[in-house]
Amino acid sequence: MTEYLVRRVLQAVLVLFLITVVSFGLMHAAPGGPLKVMLSPGMSPEAQLIQMKNMGLDQPVYIQYMKWVGNLLQGDLGHTFKNNVPVGDILWPTVWNTFVLMSVAWGLSMLIAIPWGIYNSTKQYGLSDQIASIVAYLGFAMPTFWFGIMLQQYFAMQLNLLPLSDMYTMGNEGQVGDLILHLILPVTVLTLVNIAAYVKYTRASMLEVLEQDYIRTARAKGMKERRVIFRHALRNALIPVVTIIGLDLPTLVAGAALTESVFNWPGMGRLFVDMAVAREYSVLMSITLLISLMVIIGNLLADLIYALVDPRVQLGRKGGKAA
Amino acid sequence: MKRGKGWLKPLALLSLTGALLVGCSSGNNASPGTPAPTKKPVEQVAPQATSTDDEKPVDGGTFTHSTTSDIVTLNPIFGNDTASGDVMEYTQAYLYNRNPSFDLAVYPWSLAAELPKISEDGLTYTIKMKNNAKWSDGTPVTADDLIFTINAIKTPETGSPEITKYDKVKEMKKLDDYTVEIKLKQLYAPFAFGLMQKLAPAHVLKDVPFKELQAHSYGKDPAKTPTSGPYKWSEWKQKEFHVLDANPNYWGEKKPHIQKVVYKIYADQNTQVQALMKGDVDFVGSIPVTQLEAVKAKGTINISTEPGPSYEYFAFNFDKKNFPNNYGLFEGQKTRQAIAHAINRQGIIDNILKGTGKIMDAPFLPGTWADPGDAAVHYEYSAEKAKQLLKEDGWVAGADGILSKDGNRFSFEFIFNSGNSRREQAAVVIQQNLKEIGIEAKPKALDFSALVDQYANPGKFQVLLLGWQLSDPDPDGISTFGKKAFPPGNNAGWYDNPKLDELWGKAVSTVKQEERAAIYKEVGKEISTNLPYVFMYQYGTPRGMTSRVKYKDEFKPVSMIPYGETFGFLNWWIDDTKK
Repeated sequence: MTEYLVRRVLQAVLVLFLITVVSFGLMHAAPGGPLKVMLSPGMSPEAQLIQMKNMGLDQPVYIQYMKWVGNLLQGDLGHTFKNNVPVGDILWPTVWNTFVLMSVAWGLSMLIAIPWGIYNSTKQYGLSDQIASIVAYLGFAMPTFWFGIMLQQYFAMQLNLLPLSDMYTMGNEGQVGDLILHLILPVTVLTLVNIAAYVKYTRASMLEVLEQDYIRTARAKGMKERRVIFRHALRNALIPVVTIIGLDLPTLVAGAALTESVFNWPGMGRLFVDMAVAREYSVLMSITLLISLMVIIGNLLADLIYALVDPRVQLGRKGGKAA
Repeated sequence: MKRGKGWLKPLALLSLTGALLVGCSSGNNASPGTPAPTKKPVEQVAPQATSTDDEKPVDGGTFTHSTTSDIVTLNPIFGNDTASGDVMEYTQAYLYNRNPSFDLAVYPWSLAAELPKISEDGLTYTIKMKNNAKWSDGTPVTADDLIFTINAIKTPETGSPEITKYDKVKEMKKLDDYTVEIKLKQLYAPFAFGLMQKLAPAHVLKDVPFKELQAHSYGKDPAKTPTSGPYKWSEWKQKEFHVLDANPNYWGEKKPHIQKVVYKIYADQNTQVQALMKGDVDFVGSIPVTQLEAVKAKGTINISTEPGPSYEYFAFNFDKKNFPNNYGLFEGQKTRQAIAHAINRQGIIDNILKGTGKIMDAPFLPGTWADPGDAAVHYEYSAEKAKQLLKEDGWVAGADGILSKDGNRFSFEFIFNSGNSRREQAAVVIQQNLKEIGIEAKPKALDFSALVDQYANPGKFQVLLLGWQLSDPDPDGISTFGKKAFPPGNNAGWYDNPKLDELWGKAVSTVKQEERAAIYKEVGKEISTNLPYVFMYQYGTPRGMTSRVKYKDEFKPVSMIPYGETFGFLNWWIDDTKK
């Protein structure tokens, strides 16, 4: 297990390094650049050169990259070009805001979708199963921004029941009750989308397991259906579901840019779009790194959870021995 | 005309920052079509007074100004983007203000005590400041602040984007604590307008080396940013909002009625308009034309559709290297004039801009003192006239219906920035209009930065469809049309007209406005005849204000001047019974 973990972590470091090299190179190769976005065209070439020096943009790209990595290793994410603000000051609040939104939506989706999927697998083509299909169609087919706007129109504009947008009402920052009210509409949008996927995966996976020989054997032995489902089938059926959920983990910090835009949620998805337009390399690199890190951690966790859920999956085997 | 942020702002106005950049997108998704020729007058809905004479202003309340981009800095030496400018309108006093006619003016809220005294030779400006103005920390605003600000901006190490405003300053002398004498290196009339300047506090920044000014916390930390205007900066939540409270140390005779201003940042225009309709915000500066009817139907929002200080253009490239066989398609004056006749500008205004624009024939805003009026040639929409002119210029139809001359097909590519729905739709109309007269014009949308970097700045394109925002009220246009402004300058199309260069130069060599106006008449005539651009239209985005905001007619928003929407804000008040 330890050996496995060490190997995975080393792999992760290598992958992260490659991601930063490629991202840094691509960003700098793209046309435009922060100076072009900021300066007035009347500025003399001399003045522009001085500005480039001040921003460190006169250096070759590999030097800029090494400086960025050097700062990163000391915990410094850099500063924005536009107003020289530390990247962390901008980034961390948005990561937290997105985490609040996405974790509520994610948790709620699992709480609803997994039991629902299990239930539907035992009552195939029943009413609940039909409803789940409709929800899934809606969730997959409906553009989230459109659904968000519809919810806003009805619950915020017409009924005036819920806030239209933002994370808090001005002046109520930090109040949990106010936060919950603001969470309802965006969480509804995100949950619908997640449920659509999770219910279907859980149901399909359960159905597959329920047809296995060992389930038939368990039933033949006269085991109660409840025990068959929860004791025997569920553990195996959850493996692919865990994979899907694990891969969704990065969205907890990356957020859903469209939903954040529609509800004016001050999260990281929105920040990324803004910063891409402004060519704020330091912020973009930090976000890329963070998301990459989450993807790697998500994968790792999914693998580890496999092992916990299904002891047949053993970690660290080498040499092609049978597992 | 100095175009601050020229390339950038058009977009921001945009729908960018607009949608992402300036002047760009209006969020308009209506399908483009060819507007029919029309002669109907365009309805212009101007802002009206929202109070009656017997209504008295009341003190208190909060005004929420919405936007789609956050500030860069509130340090006037650096902040020249739209959002920073918006917030500084409330927090920083100007040395001189501009009046609704675009002229330099002294108001009770200006730092200057009187208009600048200009010497006979036009080289020396004497500026007298009020002696009672204070920063919000209680320190007096003095001549030191003015000298420090100009010095910092004109020093290249500082990296100020406003450097060209003061690069003709030779020396400054402090005559007393409130009087400054500025000597110029050369006669330069637009300098007066450069004095519409917000100041930075010398007592906070004077010991900071110029090259470290940008990194300083002044302008970025509300607690360390004393302001000279009617509001102080109390709070900034990045990418979310700013809170501005009435400045208790405000020195002006006229104090603001409204006690608090919230500058609220939205992710996009649609979200912003929803918030306006729900009453979460009081002002939106850019309502997508597609949503105009819905906002009007709400009935509680006052809408202004007057165009602002921006115009769109269709710029020809005169550098033959950009064309196959080095054959410049736009060499012939008659050819350019034919294109001006062929484009249905009024149709675009009526159908795409929904009436929120005015045709322009020269690079001067209609109604300003430099507007040449009828002296500029007007090209009415007429495919027949266009065909006639092309024929006279030697173009004949080829086998595929496209004109050709000397073996060269009349086919070109015109580029504009993607994400700007107004331009995207106008491009389709232009393409169809030109096809009708036998010209193949191929529209191509590009990312704004890429367009500026790879095409406009190096002058490598065939035709450019873009806009200018005239952030400086001076009409001097040599930095856009003069030979000295060849790429990477603003004269991206390599337009060379010695007669025009001479006229531009002559116009800035006198400080007498009547003399300048007469010269700009000649400029208007020459430029509209010779046509480096097809000047398309002055445009703007509809603005909406909730009816709880009250003002008398004399203090209504002014569309024509930059930041004019809050002109007279000190005299506005909030009537919360009108929510």
